[in-house]
Amino acid sequence: MTNAFNTQLRAQQEWSWLLAIWLFLGGTGSGLFLLFLLLGLPAYFAVIALGFVLSGGVILLLELGSPLRAWRTVFRPGTSWLSRGVFFVFFFIVSCFLSIAPAFEIFSWLPWSETGLLAKLLGWIAAVCALMIILYPAFFFHSTSLAIPFWNTPLLPLLFVSYAVLGGDGIVLLTASYASHIPAQVGLLAIILIALNAVMIAIYLLTMDRAGGSAKESVGLLNRAPLRWIFWVGVVALGLIFPLLGILFMAPAASTAGACILIGGVLFRYCVLKAGVYVPPALVADVTDWSKLNRTSSDFAREYAGMTAQRTSRPR
Amino acid sequence: MAANGQPSKRATVKWGVAVDLKRCTGCQACTMACKLENGTPPGVFWTRVLEKEEGTFPLAYKVFMPLRCNHCSDPPCVPVCPTGASYVREQDNLVLVNQDQCVGCHACVVACPYQARFVPGSNAGYYDEHTPYEDTNYKKWQAGTAQKCTLCVHRIDKGLRPACVETCPTEALVFGDLNDPRSKISTLIRQRSHFQPSAELGTDPCVFYLT
Repeated sequence: MTNAFNTQLRAQQEWSWLLAIWLFLGGTGSGLFLLFLLLGLPAYFAVIALGFVLSGGVILLLELGSPLRAWRTVFRPGTSWLSRGVFFVFFFIVSCFLSIAPAFEIFSWLPWSETGLLAKLLGWIAAVCALMIILYPAFFFHSTSLAIPFWNTPLLPLLFVSYAVLGGDGIVLLTASYASHIPAQVGLLAIILIALNAVMIAIYLLTMDRAGGSAKESVGLLNRAPLRWIFWVGVVALGLIFPLLGILFMAPAASTAGACILIGGVLFRYCVLKAGVYVPPALVADVTDWSKLNRTSSDFAREYAGMTAQRTSRPR
Repeated sequence: MAANGQPSKRATVKWGVAVDLKRCTGCQACTMACKLENGTPPGVFWTRVLEKEEGTFPLAYKVFMPLRCNHCSDPPCVPVCPTGASYVREQDNLVLVNQDQCVGCHACVVACPYQARFVPGSNAGYYDEHTPYEDTNYKKWQAGTAQKCTLCVHRIDKGLRPACVETCPTEALVFGDLNDPRSKISTLIRQRSHFQPSAELGTDPCVFYLT
């Protein structure tokens, strides 16, 4: 919040762990719900997904400066992605709950069944909302990209989707040793997504580095302490390479791999947030003719005489 | 005001500030005048003068750049607001915040390319206890909501100039109506070479730097 009085590049200070955790919880929960629907996972995974999004919403409230007014955020869906996001989260929670509720004993009084048409329809509505919960932060970041060029890329929504589904996959892997009915594709999917994420992160950072200016400084931040450790050790080594090796060569370590994927997911969001460097203030020197500093005292005298003449003749 | 944050056609006045970089000495009097007038919290400066060292010995010098909210004609901070608390005033181009509606989501703070918006976390003053000055002036804003340079809207509405302009000892700051071709600011912008800060972003700022 504190202003700087010099012209150096400066990263945004507003958003940190709290928002990174919301991005992780919202994204991972939504990704898990998509996996639940697409792979036909057991119903309790949808409950976990719902819990993730719900707890993420609570975290998001803590992030607000005036949480008691949170209801006001629904007023600008026409222009603000944050406003639209509130709707997506709300409709996800409602439709996800209604679609999976009949699967549990206590809600058996509900007039529709788990496999019925209505539940299926509600499930797909929830899936669309889940996809938008994953995407809307990326779209919001794009709407701030005038200020922060590091977020001005179509790779960000793709990375968010990929990381969200990978996170959902991580949860399934984490519970794999305790649960039954886990489809075999989960491991394969994790391998594909990890490879995809690694390639996209590489392209992302390379293009941003080439873009120069603030975007280059963002990449520089990721390569300097303290973010260097979080990015290279946390996101790349712990979040991508280690789980990849674990799934490929040590099948019993799938749970550990799942946990590492989740940790990497939080740290990835944190890195994206913390590396958001503002565009610099317009550089004064580039547009000013400073060669005039070489003037002699007679030059000054002539100039001041001219300025005084101009001043008296100028219309008020 | 239209939903997209654009000023309506009814706006006839377009307030702007011209900053004469040849006159600015970097004295930070505008910074202090702003703090006195608006009672901003510690660490928050709605206007401030950036300093940058240029050149090498023996021709080393400092360049100054007074910054404030640019009251952009196309403000990036307004459409991202989820509550409509950020708005462009109908009768002129001032970008203002209705602090009773702001939830403090920080979206506008991040969206502003000029880093001109702030969300103070608490009411804490400069000392352990509020001074009488802070007691009075900290009522002008709410903690946990966005705040920014209002171009001293309360003074403009009384027909006065903003505090920073009023206080500038070198007359480096010129305040006026950009829509009026005969105003001092319009004349200066016509006569002098000038630039708008980060004009390439397409925000069309109403602050002009005369070079």
